[in-house]
Amino acid sequence: MSKMHSINRLYLPKLKLCHLKSRGFARACVILAAAVLCGCSHVDVHSDKVRGVAYVRVDDVIKHHPLYPQLEQLNNAIASINFEASLPHAPLTPAQIAAQTKDLNAQLHDAEVAAVKAAGIDPAAAGLGQAMNTTSQAQAQAAAAAAQQNYAEYQRGVIAQDNAAMQSIAQQLSKAADDKLRARAEQYQQNESDLSLKLAQEDSSQRMALRTQLSTLALTADQRKSVSDQLGALDKKEADQVNALRAADAQALLAYRKQLGEQTSAQIRAQQTSIQAQTGAKLSQRRDAVGAQLRGLGAAPVATASLPPDVRRRLGQIHQEYAAKFQADAQQAVEEYQATKSDLDAQFAALHGQGVTATGAAAKQLRDLQKRQNDLQMQIQNQIQREAVRLAKEMGFSVVFDNVQAAPGGYDLTNDLIHDIESQHE
Amino acid sequence: MKRRFLSTLALVLGLMAAIGPAAIAADLTDVGFIDQSALGNLPAFVSANQQLAAYKAQLNGQFAAAMRGARTDADKQRISLQFQQEFSDKQNELVGPLYQRTQLAIANVSTSKKLSVVVDKRIVIYGGQDITGDVINAVRGSQAMASPQASPAPSSIGFVDQSALANSTDVKNASDQLQKFQAAQQPIYAARYKNATNEVSKQQVMADYNKAIQDEQSKLLKPLVDQTKTATATVARSKNLLLVVDRADVVFGGTDITQDVQNALNK
Repeated sequence: MSKMHSINRLYLPKLKLCHLKSRGFARACVILAAAVLCGCSHVDVHSDKVRGVAYVRVDDVIKHHPLYPQLEQLNNAIASINFEASLPHAPLTPAQIAAQTKDLNAQLHDAEVAAVKAAGIDPAAAGLGQAMNTTSQAQAQAAAAAAQQNYAEYQRGVIAQDNAAMQSIAQQLSKAADDKLRARAEQYQQNESDLSLKLAQEDSSQRMALRTQLSTLALTADQRKSVSDQLGALDKKEADQVNALRAADAQALLAYRKQLGEQTSAQIRAQQTSIQAQTGAKLSQRRDAVGAQLRGLGAAPVATASLPPDVRRRLGQIHQEYAAKFQADAQQAVEEYQATKSDLDAQFAALHGQGVTATGAAAKQLRDLQKRQNDLQMQIQNQIQREAVRLAKEMGFSVVFDNVQAAPGGYDLTNDLIHDIESQHE
Repeated sequence: MKRRFLSTLALVLGLMAAIGPAAIAADLTDVGFIDQSALGNLPAFVSANQQLAAYKAQLNGQFAAAMRGARTDADKQRISLQFQQEFSDKQNELVGPLYQRTQLAIANVSTSKKLSVVVDKRIVIYGGQDITGDVINAVRGSQAMASPQASPAPSSIGFVDQSALANSTDVKNASDQLQKFQAAQQPIYAARYKNATNEVSKQQVMADYNKAIQDEQSKLLKPLVDQTKTATATVARSKNLLLVVDRADVVFGGTDITQDVQNALNK
């Protein structure tokens, strides 16, 4: 647009002048037309080099958009959360894993209780009439079914989580035992190397003397054999001692492996018993809690035969309103429960060493930030797109590209677009 | 009066001759684009992809079971290759015919509209001919599709396969070095991040970390990128191309200069 304005600014005075001088009007028009054809503006859109084609480096334009600082802030915040999630965490001890698993189970339990409560009936509303009683019973049955289903899911979840915790503990204990065994084996190897070196050093002078004798050409065959035998005996003596130590070490290592295996198995069994006991306690606690809630849902039926018609109508309205609200609340409760459960699943996975994504509050924050970032990016891109289309039309381009790898021809519309976007927000 | 008209006409013609071919060069009108995501949403594609996803889920179970039974690394590799082949065969069986039909439809529509190049909608900001509707109609039609009689006309829009260029030894080495640098820097900045007492200092650590990575990237990769861009531009100029786009954005036609750029880089 700025270029069109510059053309107008340049030639309109000439046009007016030519109006005054009617004899030169045709010539002025011709000159003006020729000037336009020549493309006296610095963009000759239809030149051989441009041929109506332009391109935009959208990424560069985005950096000049007035909202870019906000976009960058959001990008930095997202990168910060991802960076924190990817940081190496100190390995947890079995006790820590068990404690955190318990905490997460408690959170899952709370989420399910909240869901059951939200799907239940307000006891204060019960007892208004037969219609309400019917609804109450239906809802109590629905709640019981939902609670039963939740309980079954919880049972499966708890067992799966405890199995995972048990597997993780067993892996850690086995790894610790392997590390100990490896350290012991390395120690034995070191001892064997030390002994071999010590023996070689002790016998070095004797070995040297024997080898020197062997290199003497004047030895007879018998003498040479005798010296060779002595050298062989020396090597054998050293090898026997080292082999004896190696055999003793191998036996000791075998015994140590057995001992470690027994210790590890005992530890795993102890942890297993403990976790199974915890699982049983958690399940019975959950069964009791759900049972208590369901017992609290039932309301004493109220006789409705003697109710006057207007009260019945009012009860009908209340019933409809109540049913609608129940559906909405239940839906919301289910959605909230699913979101919480999904996040807790991620936390369980992270606890057991799987996945490096952000969890808990950080995951929620990450989702919010990503949504805001997407929205803002879209808003910026849409505006750039609109302005690019407007500029392209005004300047007479036939096609405008983004994401160009090289451009020996065409016109780079990027700077015009940056200027245009910046000037709109000044 | 007549003499004045003739002199004016001569002036105009003179000017026209002076500006020569620049003013009479034809604008590029043989560029088409297609919304590939709309094609992917066609019921036939959606159904094929669903079947493929179901097959993959079933295959994953079998793969896991087979891998559990593998005793050696060679066994594992053999099993991996076998399952990859099975998946690839199924993909060809389910999606292959649809993909071929779509390619033929694009070629036929492009030829009938005399387009020299068709690109993905994502890279067209303004102008061009949208052939999405025509291609969808052709794909949906029941009649058999023949190959177009003529190949696309030479195009002023070129393309280069960026992924092929990124496979060069130099680029791979630079990428590996960058990854190693990143892996080495992460624990250093992780420690600083942990010690940061408030959000402002954490943000500062993040900014420093990003800057360190970006600086290294500029040091290692930017020279290679610049070199590639220069080579691409030189080749494009020698072939009288106006613009060069990435191969991934080209659906039909265009002028492939990948090999020429590779040759120029290897000189």
